[in-house]
Amino acid sequence: MKPPRFEYFSPRSLSETVAILAEHGDGAKVLAGGQSLLPLLNMRLARPSVLVDINRVSRLDTVRPHGTGGVAIGATVRQRSLHGDPTLLDRLPILGTASQFIGHQQIRSRGTICGSLAHADPAAELPALAVALEAEMVASSASGERVLPAADFFVDYLTTVLEPTEVLTEVRFPGPPAGMRWAFLEMSRRHGDFALAGVVAGLSTSDDGSSIKAARLVVFGVAGTPVRASAVEAALVGQPPTDSVLTDAAAEATRLLDPPADVHGSGAYRRALAQTLTVRALQACRESHGTAEPAT
Amino acid sequence: MNANPLSELPQHQLPISQPRYVGQDVPRIEDPLLLTGRAEFGDNIHKTGMLHAAILRSPYAHARIRGIDTSRAEALPGVAAVLVGAEVKAQSRPVFGIPEGWTGHALAVEKTHWAGEPVAIVAAEDRYVAEDALELIEVDYEPLEPMVNALEAADGKGPVVLEGKDTNVMYARKFTFGDVDTAFAEADLVVNEDSRWHRSAGNPIETCVCIARWDPFDQSLTLEGSHRSPLLVMPALVGALGLSPTQIRIYTSPLGGSFGVKTFARYVILLSLLAKKLGGRPVKWTEDRIEHLAGNSSHAWDRHHNAAMAVRQDGTITAVRIRAMDDFGAFGEWLGVGQIVKPITIFPGCYRIPAYEYDCAAVLTNKVPQGPYRGFGLPSHYWVLEQLVDLAAEKLGMDRAEIRRKNFIRRDEFPYTIPSGNVYDSGDYEAGLDLLLEKADYAALKEQQAAARKQGRLVGLSVVTSIEPGLTGTPMLGLLSPRMFSRTSSPEGMALRMDGFGKMIAQVGFPWGGQSQHTFVRQILADYFAVKAEDVQVVVADSSTMQPGMGPVSSRIAVALGGAVVGAAKLLAEKLGRVAAVMLEADPGDVELKDGAFQVRGAPARSAPVPQVAGFMLARADKLPEGVDGNPEVSFVWNPPDHYLADEQGRSHYGVTATSAVHLCMLEVDHGTGQVEILRYVMVDDCGVRLNPSVVRGQLLGSLAQGLGNALYEEYVYDDQGQLLTTTYMDYLMPTVMEVPVVEEYEQCTPSPVTSLGQKGVGEGALHTTPAAVRCAINDALHPLGVHIAEAPATPFRIWSALQAAATSP
Repeated sequence: MKPPRFEYFSPRSLSETVAILAEHGDGAKVLAGGQSLLPLLNMRLARPSVLVDINRVSRLDTVRPHGTGGVAIGATVRQRSLHGDPTLLDRLPILGTASQFIGHQQIRSRGTICGSLAHADPAAELPALAVALEAEMVASSASGERVLPAADFFVDYLTTVLEPTEVLTEVRFPGPPAGMRWAFLEMSRRHGDFALAGVVAGLSTSDDGSSIKAARLVVFGVAGTPVRASAVEAALVGQPPTDSVLTDAAAEATRLLDPPADVHGSGAYRRALAQTLTVRALQACRESHGTAEPAT
Repeated sequence: MNANPLSELPQHQLPISQPRYVGQDVPRIEDPLLLTGRAEFGDNIHKTGMLHAAILRSPYAHARIRGIDTSRAEALPGVAAVLVGAEVKAQSRPVFGIPEGWTGHALAVEKTHWAGEPVAIVAAEDRYVAEDALELIEVDYEPLEPMVNALEAADGKGPVVLEGKDTNVMYARKFTFGDVDTAFAEADLVVNEDSRWHRSAGNPIETCVCIARWDPFDQSLTLEGSHRSPLLVMPALVGALGLSPTQIRIYTSPLGGSFGVKTFARYVILLSLLAKKLGGRPVKWTEDRIEHLAGNSSHAWDRHHNAAMAVRQDGTITAVRIRAMDDFGAFGEWLGVGQIVKPITIFPGCYRIPAYEYDCAAVLTNKVPQGPYRGFGLPSHYWVLEQLVDLAAEKLGMDRAEIRRKNFIRRDEFPYTIPSGNVYDSGDYEAGLDLLLEKADYAALKEQQAAARKQGRLVGLSVVTSIEPGLTGTPMLGLLSPRMFSRTSSPEGMALRMDGFGKMIAQVGFPWGGQSQHTFVRQILADYFAVKAEDVQVVVADSSTMQPGMGPVSSRIAVALGGAVVGAAKLLAEKLGRVAAVMLEADPGDVELKDGAFQVRGAPARSAPVPQVAGFMLARADKLPEGVDGNPEVSFVWNPPDHYLADEQGRSHYGVTATSAVHLCMLEVDHGTGQVEILRYVMVDDCGVRLNPSVVRGQLLGSLAQGLGNALYEEYVYDDQGQLLTTTYMDYLMPTVMEVPVVEEYEQCTPSPVTSLGQKGVGEGALHTTPAAVRCAINDALHPLGVHIAEAPATPFRIWSALQAAATSP
């Protein structure tokens, strides 16, 4: 378990980074926290000729307020910031709640938020959160910067729209809708494993709780990318948040899923898990077990 | 300090009024170095000029090797040597195994037998270059149909795994003890179950390491690394390489865990052959994690069971039949096949079952060969037996604890000989059960369960028991190979030396690991001679200087090394006593050791402290009595008492001690996800006198965690082409600290009458018991829905699938 030979770059600036990427293109791979890349290198499943280590690039390691109630997170910010950074905790506590499901403390201390997004494992937590919270991805290259909505960013299993010459330099989470209560649930065989299925749900209701004002629903671990159930979100608006409404919504949201089987269970099991977790997450939102976002 | 149970013992053999160390929670002296990583583990060893090895492995489960071209690899700068199967075949015999003749060579020769089997080995300047070289070796494979279905293998269908054989059935024997047929014919009730226990294995945090050097001048081989028992691997080396034991020297490093897998005879042979080819440069191989999961001979227990129990209306168990067919993988290497016969040593567990039949077989398939794993084949046995007891209790409407109580061997029946000949030394199973039920408040738990069930929750309870044999002797291996194992010895030795100041060096034959031998040897010797624990240094000998000893196998260390250390201490005291008699001008028969001094019986004022006697012995050769040399040093080799070769039916006195365990598990199954949450786990263990209670607790909790792995998580999964799908820890799941429940552990002490200090073997017992406890509780939880889990591990998917079946059945 040793990687084949590669050339290693440790640029200090973004312009230097994108210049290296422009030169080496397909053969280059960006190294941030290394939590997915290094095992792939050691198992010789990934064989880049050039490794671009961005850990020493200046100004990529910051979390800053973004817009009203939102945050922008730089490329080398570690996952542990999700439950340790005051700006993040204050503005988007659902990220802190969900981050407890990301691996273990050791992994979160090295793994980066942007790295997980760029790696695009469909069973990972952060891509699902990015889609549910309508985050924006900032991709930088020698020819400039483009900003991509999370909904368009993830293409398939371990595949994003990032070009080989681009690096994900920032993710921007906008402030969530006022009064929305969130829940994050996933099922994994053990604590910290990749999810067999998971769900990010958000609900806001009228003041008396009798009808749904807005909903967000993303299931993950059950397809090539996180799956947002936009039609179900729209259909929930105006409905009372009763068990039967939420159960029907969960059934509808997961009806068309066709997850792959693996050693941990069949596709049907994963779909059933997604449905069960969706009901539970929506109920948790309704019953305020979810994490309430501060009104902005 | 706790009241010391030793003081109450009739065979209390420590010549001290009040033991200060034995029986106490003395901190492990092994811990600081092991836990901070400061111990010199095998992979830390570096030798001048040392090369690094990497192994090319077969991508196919079964393939003919039509040719190997190593020329490009050999031409790569930094590569020192490449070794392939043909050379291995020319220079060595197949890897040792019993029964004989069911293994291959250390490298695949004509064909490969499992995906992951070594095909070539490279030695290079560093591991990176070595792995680069592997990619340059061209192997021309002709894929063959793999044998992946053990049931077909047993029925004589499909491809044959080993060249030159006409069957895949490596071992099959039906043992019958008592009149089983009549008991079943006359039973009021017969319960049956077919079940499936999937493959799992020991996964130490440190993998296997071997550094080999061949000395071309004196034609000797030196091995260093993570070898757990030098004298257990020595015969494999001698047999395969044709060397004399005097040409081989094995040094052991501290171990980051073993759990049975640190014998790796195949790789020791392979590295030795590579070192020979290198002609003097040392070479190191450190097994990587994928190699450990897919390439070592370390998978264990892949069993299909058909089981039945005959019961009377009053709950009396009259007979049991178990058929166990083990999917053994490609070879029967080393002593691994012993795992299929071990159940006969404790077949009835804690119960008075007068008749039983055990029909066992081990068949070859194109999968990783099995090897020993902590528990050595007993966890699946109790997982079957205890479920049968629960099934009988359910049918009879009896409480699970009461049916067990009814069948327990009674406290006045010890020593108790079970129908298969083994003798249980002592025990009080009813008292253990009572302690458990009281501590757990069993009646209240049953009420809680009833209340939860009313709410539709799937809450289950179990109470299960087991017997842990404190060492299993070589007569069991004689069942597999009467030729190789016509022996009754299972030795453990100790050399003990004292200096002129009364300080001691005690020498053991196996390295630091989980057995705590350095700590408890110190405890015993310090109490025996009434010195400070720090005055006893425990050192590890190498294979050329150690006493005969098998090392840490089959829960034997407290019993075997505990016997050796007391035996050695007695010999040393006798030797010193003869010198003391000269000093005290007394008859040697009147001199006795008491509280650290030799004194004249009846005149305690006339005494000489032990250090003074040792110093005198070393200093005054002129005063030494006839036949006593000037060296306060002895050696003693312990062997199990009363062992004999198994008779024709397979009966023998296989063990020494019988530790009993009783566990209670309460858990809840999530109806929607199939996940299991353990709500309560309570255990009582009777391993006699606990030489060091905290060490015992460590053994119990560690083996409980592994049992939980078997019950719920751990499984090596193969596809229909014999490809292992669980080659990383993302898919092979061991429980972590997040999954292992808080366990309440209570001590019971029925001292063993046959060991040096009343201790019994403990190390595997919780692993024997936990899988049964968890499964019985899951099935109790599922009982209202009429579904049942008969697979280990009981994964969420399997439980969910059973729940789906319940939902769709009429």
